[in-house]
Amino acid sequence: MRRCDDRFVKVLPGVRKGSLINSHRILGMKTLASIKCPKCAGPVTFDTGTKLVKCSYCDSQIFIDRSGAGFYYAVPFMVSEADAIGLFKRWAAGSTRAKDLDKRAEVAGANKQYFPVYMFKRDVKGREEVLIEPAGSTTLPGLHELKVPAGDLKIFDATFDTSGAELINPDIEMLSYMDSLPGEAKEQALVYFPIWRLDYVFEQKRYEVVIDASTGEVFSANFPARSSTSYMIVAIIGFLAFAFEGILALSSLMTAVTLMVLTVLGIFAISFYVARRL
Amino acid sequence: MTGISVGLNCPACGGSITVVEGEDTIACPYCSSTLFIEGDEGVTTVAFRNRTTKQKAVDASRRWWSSGWKARDLRRVGKVTEVYPIYLPFWRATTRIAGWICGYEIRRHTDSKGRVHQQKIPKEVMILNDYQFSEIAADPGDLGIRSLRNFSGETSFADFDMIPTFEATTSRDDAISHARNKALSSARSSARVPRVTMERLHILPRRLSMVYYPVWIVRYDYRDRKYLTTVDGVTGQIISGRAPGDPLFQSLAITAGSSVGGLLAAVGIILSDVAVEMMIAGIGAGVGVLYLTYRFFRHGSEIIDGDFRHKPASMSETVNELRDVARSLQGAYR
Amino acid sequence: MKVVQVRCPSCDSPIYSKQRDRLFYCDRCNVLHVRDGGVEKIDFEIAEFASEPPGEKVYIPFWRLYCSFVIRSKSVEGEYVFRLASWMRGEDGSGTMFIYVPAADFDTTTFKRLAIDFTVSSPKYNTRLNFGSIRRMPTAMSREEATELADFIIVTMEAEKPGVLQQLDYTLTVNGTKMVYLPFGVGPNGMVPAF
Repeated sequence: MRRCDDRFVKVLPGVRKGSLINSHRILGMKTLASIKCPKCAGPVTFDTGTKLVKCSYCDSQIFIDRSGAGFYYAVPFMVSEADAIGLFKRWAAGSTRAKDLDKRAEVAGANKQYFPVYMFKRDVKGREEVLIEPAGSTTLPGLHELKVPAGDLKIFDATFDTSGAELINPDIEMLSYMDSLPGEAKEQALVYFPIWRLDYVFEQKRYEVVIDASTGEVFSANFPARSSTSYMIVAIIGFLAFAFEGILALSSLMTAVTLMVLTVLGIFAISFYVARRL
Repeated sequence: MTGISVGLNCPACGGSITVVEGEDTIACPYCSSTLFIEGDEGVTTVAFRNRTTKQKAVDASRRWWSSGWKARDLRRVGKVTEVYPIYLPFWRATTRIAGWICGYEIRRHTDSKGRVHQQKIPKEVMILNDYQFSEIAADPGDLGIRSLRNFSGETSFADFDMIPTFEATTSRDDAISHARNKALSSARSSARVPRVTMERLHILPRRLSMVYYPVWIVRYDYRDRKYLTTVDGVTGQIISGRAPGDPLFQSLAITAGSSVGGLLAAVGIILSDVAVEMMIAGIGAGVGVLYLTYRFFRHGSEIIDGDFRHKPASMSETVNELRDVARSLQGAYR
Repeated sequence: MKVVQVRCPSCDSPIYSKQRDRLFYCDRCNVLHVRDGGVEKIDFEIAEFASEPPGEKVYIPFWRLYCSFVIRSKSVEGEYVFRLASWMRGEDGSGTMFIYVPAADFDTTTFKRLAIDFTVSSPKYNTRLNFGSIRRMPTAMSREEATELADFIIVTMEAEKPGVLQQLDYTLTVNGTKMVYLPFGVGPNGMVPAF
């Protein structure tokens, strides 16, 4: 196995250096968005995930070996601030959230951020393994699950438009993982994924949600919850009442039927109130 | 190989060649030598042609709004805000299973004199089948899509530059082992041999490919809230979506459920003189009906279609709710 | 990733082939080789056409596995006929036999039919030295997969006789494999053996 580290130093003649914020210190390796064509030396740009590209100058096909380089990727924002608040409200209207949380929660702040994770592709005894490791420490909900959300991964370089999002700097070096990972390197990358951090206040308490700004998934560790008690009591009372009335119908049919009609109306009225208000 | 890039030439004549990912042999277009590609085996990649227009995606979503137990005013109040297509990556694997499952089934039946007879039915079942498997090759987030439902359609990379492509980020070999397990369990369940005395199954992975499938994202507003549906770019059908529910339907459901369930239980109890089984069956059916309608009553404020990670209307959630209620009742009693 | 020219491991002459095939055939020195995880020569034979078949003449590849077989115990519900003994060379539920595994990319039904037919009655044929100008179907199955499927074919032959198989305790040992190209005529009526 070739050691990764010494390859970064020697190779990659076409690497664009210093185009990234803090890139060298953080990653411990260089990154690139374009290479020199090995035939005609023309610059060839390539997209994330491609293995084979065609040089636009001499038309020769080039194989890209990602095992020895570190890449910077970013997922573009698909969710605007207004969308994020709308998604939060949809989530807040969910059945397990406190009644009318969507209307009564007050959004106190929305932060647009790029959160970093490392993605390693390794060859472990002939098996491909993908490992996701944290690049920054966080207590934000959802981000401890550590995954790269589905998105249109773009190569992150000076030309990439962060659309005003705050970049969270990784505080763990990629190389510190590389030595302890199993197998041989196939590819490694720092992936910035887009999030909206929303703070909201409900009954004088502050809560926080994170919204994945690529697919719109909402993450939340703590939220004002809705109790199931009233729902369940209505269901059980209705059930028992009808069971009793059913048995009663054997002895006195008329009384039972009258009671049943009353129960139907009662249960409907109470359950409608519960579904709307509680 | 010293750089990150390697130009590809025919080792025999030096002509420049084109390698298709996933193929291990090619013929040189100049000297027609057979060439073999060693190492870094890629995966055959196909993309389906997008056949749905923006208008069709919106229409499909609007039709979906008026079906099922969704908010009655959704069609009137709901407003589509954003519609765009994306390409989602999927692993697609074909696994052949060849083998035999032998065993038997025990059937019980009661004759006219009330005696119970047992019958042993021996079974030998051959399995020789190709199983199709697909799995999304990225984290699906809140899209509600996990696998492909449609495998047919025109394949072409013609739309590839126009439509944003979501990247594959999961492991190829994980997908293969998921495909194997899925094929094995489908094979076992299709054999329907309850008591197995011998099982000899061979798993032969046949093909693996990466499929890029066009999906339309339709975002819409309903009373300040943002919802989303996804529409199949090939068939034009709804794949997944979330929509607001309606308290009227929720309360109708529980009214119907508690009355039918309660009466079923009553019938069971009345017939308990005939047979104890009748009582158990009656109460069981009644509680079953109650449970199903309760689920809708409790969680019907949002209607969900598709493979979402968190489904509030699940069995385990109901168990948790029961526990909470028991706890709060205990608290009230003290 | 490395691109290499495929050359015969025996005479080093380059190989020219238009179809995708797991096996590479050198028509100069009659050597067949495989490259899954290293270059290896494959023992093979080509059967002579004994009759003029309808349709196009085609060679279909089969892995022929020379197996020894021991049945330790067996239980069948219903009618009990020990058929294996009748076509196996040997007695007392053990012996040796040839198992034919179709190696081209066939659907499951064709695969099973060809495998059972030829394993039950081994084809008899004269061999020839080369393919001449006759097309051969590409091999899609590896030898390892063929070994797995040999086991399936054995159990199938046991199960597909009267009675319901419940238990079969046996060992199957592959003593040798050979690639056999059998002659067929492929026409509108399907594939017809021509040996």
